[in-house]
Order: sequence, then C-alpha cells, then structure tokens
Amino acid sequence: MTTNIIELKDVHKAYELGKTTVTALRGVDLTVGAGEFTVVTGPSGSGKTTLLNIIGCLDRASKGTYVLDGEDVSSRDFDALADVRNRKIGFIFQSFNLIPVLDVAENIEFPCAVRKNAEKPAVLRARVEALAEAVGLKPYLHHKPDELSGGQRQRVAIARALITEPRLVLADEPTANLDSQTSEQILDLMLALNKDKGVTFLFSTHDPRVVKHAHRALQIRDGRMVDGPLDAH
Amino acid sequence: MTLLKVASRNLRRNRRRTTITLVALVVGVVVLVGLRGFINGQQRVLVENLIQGRLGAVQVHRAGYVKNVLSSPLTLDMADDPGFRARLARVPHVTAVAPRIEFGAMVSTPDKRPPPDDGSPLPEADQGKTSFFIATAVDPALEAKVTPRRTELVTVGHMFPDAQASQVVLNAEFASGLEAPLLDPARPLPPVEQQTALLAGDRDGALNGENVMLSGTLPSFSPGDKRNGLVPLGLAQKLLRMEGRVTEYALAVEPLEAAPTVRAALQAELGPDYEVHTWDELFPFIKSLTGTQDFVFSIVSGVFLAVVLLGVVNAMLMTVLERTREIGTMLAVGMRRRQIVTLFILEGLVIGTIGASLGVVLGSLLTLYLNHQGIPLPSPGATVPSIVRPFITARFLLAALVGAPVGAALATLWPALRAAALRPVEALQSP
Repeated sequence: MTTNIIELKDVHKAYELGKTTVTALRGVDLTVGAGEFTVVTGPSGSGKTTLLNIIGCLDRASKGTYVLDGEDVSSRDFDALADVRNRKIGFIFQSFNLIPVLDVAENIEFPCAVRKNAEKPAVLRARVEALAEAVGLKPYLHHKPDELSGGQRQRVAIARALITEPRLVLADEPTANLDSQTSEQILDLMLALNKDKGVTFLFSTHDPRVVKHAHRALQIRDGRMVDGPLDAH
Repeated sequence: MTLLKVASRNLRRNRRRTTITLVALVVGVVVLVGLRGFINGQQRVLVENLIQGRLGAVQVHRAGYVKNVLSSPLTLDMADDPGFRARLARVPHVTAVAPRIEFGAMVSTPDKRPPPDDGSPLPEADQGKTSFFIATAVDPALEAKVTPRRTELVTVGHMFPDAQASQVVLNAEFASGLEAPLLDPARPLPPVEQQTALLAGDRDGALNGENVMLSGTLPSFSPGDKRNGLVPLGLAQKLLRMEGRVTEYALAVEPLEAAPTVRAALQAELGPDYEVHTWDELFPFIKSLTGTQDFVFSIVSGVFLAVVLLGVVNAMLMTVLERTREIGTMLAVGMRRRQIVTLFILEGLVIGTIGASLGVVLGSLLTLYLNHQGIPLPSPGATVPSIVRPFITARFLLAALVGAPVGAALATLWPALRAAALRPVEALQSP
C-alpha cells in the first residue's frame, strides 16, 4: 500500500520565453505522505506556483520523475493527465474559479458530471448535498456564484475539490482573497476535512495563519527546496 | 447536468452579443428563404407560360420530326382522327389532346390604297408588306384545353371561332410591324383585294394562298414569340393540301410532374414510328435557364451564409477570449479537450437552431404573404403581364433548418479548437 501521495525526484522546469530560457525549478526532490497538511512557502518568483502546477498535473516537468499515489505520471499525455486530475486531485484556487452559469450544486458536481462514466444523477446529487452540508452550503445549493460572498464561494470551491474523493487537494493561496475571519473559517474547515476524511492537503501560501496550522512547512527559493527557518513574507 | 445545458446557459451570459449573432442568422435565413421563394415563383411563371401558353406538357410527332423541326417537315405527318386522339387521351394523367400543324408561312397585307390611275408606282409607305412567320395551326376549342393561357390572352380582337375560319391570330408586335388590318366583326368583310393573304408551300413544294383577316393579336411570352402566329387547323390543312393530317399532338398533363411518366407510357403505346417528348426536352433553354438561376442562387447564398457565419466565428472567438480562465478551470478539474470542443460546437448548434427556426418561420410567412399578394413582373422578353407568386418547398425549409445550425456549429469549430488547445496552466493565469 502506498503511503506517499507525492514523490518528486530531481524535477526541473524550464520555460522558453522568446530566445531566453527561464528556469523555474532546479532539481526539486519532494515527498508528501498520505493525510499530511503541508504548505509550501517562498517569495514571488521562487517557483512555488510552477511546483504546484506540476504536482497538480497542469504542467509537465522538463526533467525528473513524478509519482502520484504510486503512478508515474511524468510522461502521460494530455488526456491521461486530465483523467489523473479528475480522479486523484482536487483544486482550490485563489480566485475560486467557479463556473458562473452553474449554481452551487452544479458547480460542486461538475468534475464528476464530466467524467467518462458519470454516476447516476440522483446518486451524485445526494453526495453533493451531503458535501454542501459539510461545508455549510446546504441553503445555497441553487444560488449562482455571483449571489454568494467570497467565503461562500471558497466553500463551493472546497466542496468541488472534494466531490471526486481525491487523494490530494492542492490549494493555491486559498485565503488570499478572503478577510481574516473568513480565512479562519475556511482554514478550520480544511483542517477538519483533513482530520476527519484523511484528505491530503498541499498549500501554496504566504498566509502565516495557514503556515501555523500546517503539519509541515516547506520552503522553495530560486527553484530549489531549502531547509531552515521559514521566511516572513 | 449535460454539456447542452451549459452551452445553452452560456449563450445567455452576453445577451447583447447573442442577440446580434441571432439577428444576423435570422436575417440571413429569411433573406435566403425569401429569395429562393421569389426565384421559385419566377421559374414557375416561366414554365407555366411556356407550357400553358405554347408547348403543352407533352408532344407526339412522327419519328424524326424533332430532329428536323427547323425545316417544319410536313412529310412527317400523322392521321388526325378521333380514334388516334382517343388512344392518346387514354394514357393516365393526360387531360386533353390538341392536334396541330407547325409550318413556315408568309403573310402579305394589302396595299393601303389602289394604285394611281397614271400607272405610277405606289409610294412605299402605302404598299402592303410581306413577312415570314412560324404558323401553328390549331383547333381553337381543343387548343384552349391544352394551352389555356395562349387562347385566353388574345388581348386585342378575338381568337378565330373555329378550325375552318378564314382568320389568323398574330403576335401583336409582328402584326403591328405589318400594319395588318384587324377584322371588325361589326362591319362586312372587305373585298378580297383588301384582305390579307396567307401563303405557304405544300408538301410538294407548290405555293398556295388563302385570303384571311387578322382576328386578334397575342402578347409575347418569350423573345422567340415575336414571329409566331395561329392559324385555324382546317384552313391550314386546305392551304397545305393536308386534309385529315397533322404534324403534332400537344397534350395537357395533370400534374405536370407526371410528364415523364406520360412520355414513357405513350412511347410504349405508339411504338417506334412515333416520338414523344416532354416540354423540357423540346425547350431545353428553360431548364438551362432555371439551372443557371439555381447555380447563381447557390453561389450568392453560399457567400451570404459565409458572411453571416463569419459573424458567428467572431462572436465565438470573443467568447473564447473572455472565458479563457473558465476553460482553464474546466480543464483543471478533468474535462477533456474533446468535451471543450463539444461545448463550443453545441453553443453554435443551439444558436444556429434558434436562428434557423425563427428564420424559417419568418421567411415562410414573408413568402406566404408575397404569394398571396403576387408580384407583377413580366418574364424576360415577355410583354404579357406575369404575376410572380413566390413559394417555398418543404425540402428547402428542411435544408435551411438543418444547414444553418450545422453551418453555425462548423463556424464555431475553429474557436472551439482554439479553446481546447489552451494549456490549463496558462489559461488559469488569464485575467
């Protein structure tokens, strides 16, 4: 049985910008175990977002290997990666990224609804309602995103990330667009989900409150993982 | 939740843009339906004028006649008897039979006054005129059942009363050029020297003549009608020494679409000594004219549709641009590229279906209205007033109902492929 969800070995990432090559990651090694609540911090331009993009299978490493939940996904093609994202990874974005034409329930069920062998609508809707209740959105199931507050939208995003019962949830600055009180509530919710459901969380953040609650805080600087005290950003 | 539902909702996001695209599609379909309806109406007038005003739907001749038609071969004749007519009339869909003789003739009008007593010649302006024309000898009672428009439209004077009358009907422009005196039924017949002479060579080449009066004139249905005239069948048979013989039988067929079936049945009935032709075989010019019209219409409608669909392409490209981050999110949560393409194509299909449906309904209503009102428009080269009544076929409406959505869906293909080609990591960074 695999206990590591993420295993990165000597991962490099370089971008071609015109005639210039920009190296974002320079040999990253990283292991994240199942059920961990981990944050990655680092200054702007350190390679944090690139690292999360590769871990989230949104981008591919230029070099190195990436094993996600026991599957080597380093050289998968686009559709295969889409399948991996759909089955194994949940995403929570800084700007929520909800689909404006769908209501709360439809946004939550979206990743399951677009699957090749989608489950029966009634079964899916029951799971959506249960999840909405867990994140405190039951009364808003038929509201459109523009009828919700920032905190409520992020709850929808969390529910959407969890509906596929993923092995890993990636959150890119999930509290950056929220006020402090709402940020606390969202953080508490994610901690509870981590504790109760054993979901593995990996954050990219500058928020010290998030860092404070993490099981493990990792630093990235100039495209490399570094040891030592966390920087205050 | 289906992609179709998402596509339909997406169209409501930017209502103004969707409305503009929809209006362009509706106007496009209405114009195409209206234009097709008008062309259909004009083509029908053209065909009806030809069939009901001149040819009949089907014609029977002796074998080899049509090949030599320009020489009006009187030797390729047939018996004009009731038994033969009955054989023709028995064929299903044949509703009337009219015997005819087509021949080349001359008409010579009298001098306007007697020659001077001093023996000097008449001034040219007072001299009678002689001219050639193509004469069709008909029985007016039978002919009226096959070509009702021709006999109905004797606008000046009247049709000769029977097949034995010493009268002719000429094309109005031809008669005017000849300055032929018109018969006045209220007055006694003028003396022989003041009557018009009808001259024709018989089968043996001998030139014969008969005195006739111009009883009426016919308008032109087409440019070729200007040198045409009608002659009573009995008079022509006497003139041509062809008593009891004709060169042609013209048949009315109901419905007109049955003409090829009638042709085949008659050919089988009459055998190889006779030849049977449908109206379009006898006058292929009309088929080629309508074919050219249809071809030009296809080109114009293709260009028109392309312009409308370019509007759809533009609108969808804007949509892709605006929804880049959303597309990134969809890709991030596991939507496949094929599904992104499908989503945008469905948006095109939905707007195309709505546009085509509205366009077909409005276009049909417009066509119905114009059909009811009628558009007075003579056919090219015709002097007879023709009323164009536009109509549209169910087949064309079905083609518009299917073609416009498919066109709109194809128009979204490029924007859809662009959307699907987005890399999620870049799309998610879009503002």
